[in-house]
Amino acid sequence: MILIFQRLWQVNWAEQWQYRANLLMYLLYWLVSPIIYLAVWTSIANSKGNVNGFTANDFITYYMTLLIVDQVTSNIIIHSFGYKIQDGTLSGELIRPIHPMLTNALVNNVAFKGLTIMGLTPIWIILFFLFRPDFSHVTLIGILLAIPAMVMGFFVGFLLSAAITALAFWTTRIYSIHEFYFALILLFSGQFVPLTLMPKVIQDIAQYLPFQLLIYYPIQLVLGKLSTQQIVQGYVMGFIWLLVSFFVFNWVWRKGVKRFSAVGA
Amino acid sequence: MPPFTILVEQLSKTYQVPEREGGFGAAVRSFFKRKYKDVNAVQKVDFKIEQGEVVGFLGPNGAGKTTTLKMLSGLLHPTGGKATVLGFTPWELKSDYLRSMTLVMGQRNRLSWDIPAADSFLLNQAIYRIPDDQYKETYKELDELLELEPLMKKPVRNLSLGERMKCEIAVGLLHRPKVLFLDEPTIGLDITGQTRIREFLREYNKRTGATILLTSHYMADVTALCERIIIIHQGQLKYDGGITDLSHKIAPFKLIGILLSDANSHNLSGYGTEVQNEEDTEKRYIQVKAEDVTKVTSRLLADLPIHDISITDPPIEDVIEQAFNQ
Repeated sequence: MILIFQRLWQVNWAEQWQYRANLLMYLLYWLVSPIIYLAVWTSIANSKGNVNGFTANDFITYYMTLLIVDQVTSNIIIHSFGYKIQDGTLSGELIRPIHPMLTNALVNNVAFKGLTIMGLTPIWIILFFLFRPDFSHVTLIGILLAIPAMVMGFFVGFLLSAAITALAFWTTRIYSIHEFYFALILLFSGQFVPLTLMPKVIQDIAQYLPFQLLIYYPIQLVLGKLSTQQIVQGYVMGFIWLLVSFFVFNWVWRKGVKRFSAVGA
Repeated sequence: MPPFTILVEQLSKTYQVPEREGGFGAAVRSFFKRKYKDVNAVQKVDFKIEQGEVVGFLGPNGAGKTTTLKMLSGLLHPTGGKATVLGFTPWELKSDYLRSMTLVMGQRNRLSWDIPAADSFLLNQAIYRIPDDQYKETYKELDELLELEPLMKKPVRNLSLGERMKCEIAVGLLHRPKVLFLDEPTIGLDITGQTRIREFLREYNKRTGATILLTSHYMADVTALCERIIIIHQGQLKYDGGITDLSHKIAPFKLIGILLSDANSHNLSGYGTEVQNEEDTEKRYIQVKAEDVTKVTSRLLADLPIHDISITDPPIEDVIEQAFNQ
């Protein structure tokens, strides 16, 4: 099994390099919104002193961390896999004795991440000198706690997106479903605005939803803003969502493959 | 081991195809109430194939060949009947089954488009858990037969159609499958390419005792490789037996194509039945019995101002159509 992942990595890594220009475009597109949020919130905080207790530096450190966390936890499965179901190229992968989604597509996403993070690094350094965040309160423990949380967040997000992608077995409109899912992420993950600044109701709902596991929770861990109780609660939620999303994905996938083979692959 | 490698009983597949008339009104109506038409792609087909047999699976376009192959390889659920291959029910997609068979279909299957074939080969070695020494040995054999080495380092997208087909077949055989389903393995290849693939498959079958079921458009593929053929037409089994018996059943015809230097004014009815050939409208084609070919050809050459002449086998579809559609 290790050898399979190793060889899958070689193939996918080499493949992603072929698309490096495409990848750079994606990265630039993806960078636009966090940088806008960063700029807008910082200037508001600067002009008013703070926003509900959030200083300019709070916003800068939040979004500078978000750039990394989001890159680690997000995935592109809908784009890299959806079409295979729709145009039938999945057939070739279905008759291989490995799970198409949980092996090849997974490694493909990780390889993609590897390259985008390489591309992000110099941009991040430039932004660092531009905005000069004060990271002095970040501790090693915070970072060490955030790493498994990011891995967990990635898998939760990956499985949920994979489940939505697998809806392509029934409908060709998965992209609009995914847009809706993305709107939920925007609202409940802490991407648009740090969740503490959201109305109380949304904050209450958000802590039980999976979306904050992708962005808000790992950022707060890095920045050391959570109490022990909140840290434990986050990990427990993450673990529950990991199981839920796995079962949801597995169920949709199995039904989907059956349907695929019923209507004609 | 079960007595038969491939056992097919009453296998059927019906597709539901949405249909509607053209036009705006029909588009609106179909939004509310969709009409479906049942298409019986395969209807109650039975056959048994023993280990080591090479069987040609023939039929015109839309006869149900590919549907049957897809069911046998596990990609499709049948709507009725059953099938076992090597003792497995294919559509359960058990790993042990997938590791012991291969399906070669079209040009883009197991090879990654953007990277050299060598990388895809190594990936498949891992996926199919092929031990290193066995991998090297199999690769050496495949290389001997198909001359792969010069192709391995180029990105697959830069290979020609024939080169890609060779790699596609080779990568599908790395795990030494016991059963091979080949859908049009020589399609798009030139004569040398076709011959080479045929020789290779014959050799592979001899060396490994693998069971092969292949579909093809080319009669030559089938005559070169298979002692037994199965013909399906409109989803139904029409013939299952030796290839020599079949030629008795089907009157052997040849097509003589002639290009006349002075327009098409001559009446050819005295030589044979004139037929249309859509792929070549420049020439006129006459269908004659195989034993009369020499006689008719010499008469044609003597009587008419002939620019060019060709003698070919009629397309397999036509032969089957003639034999079973009357």
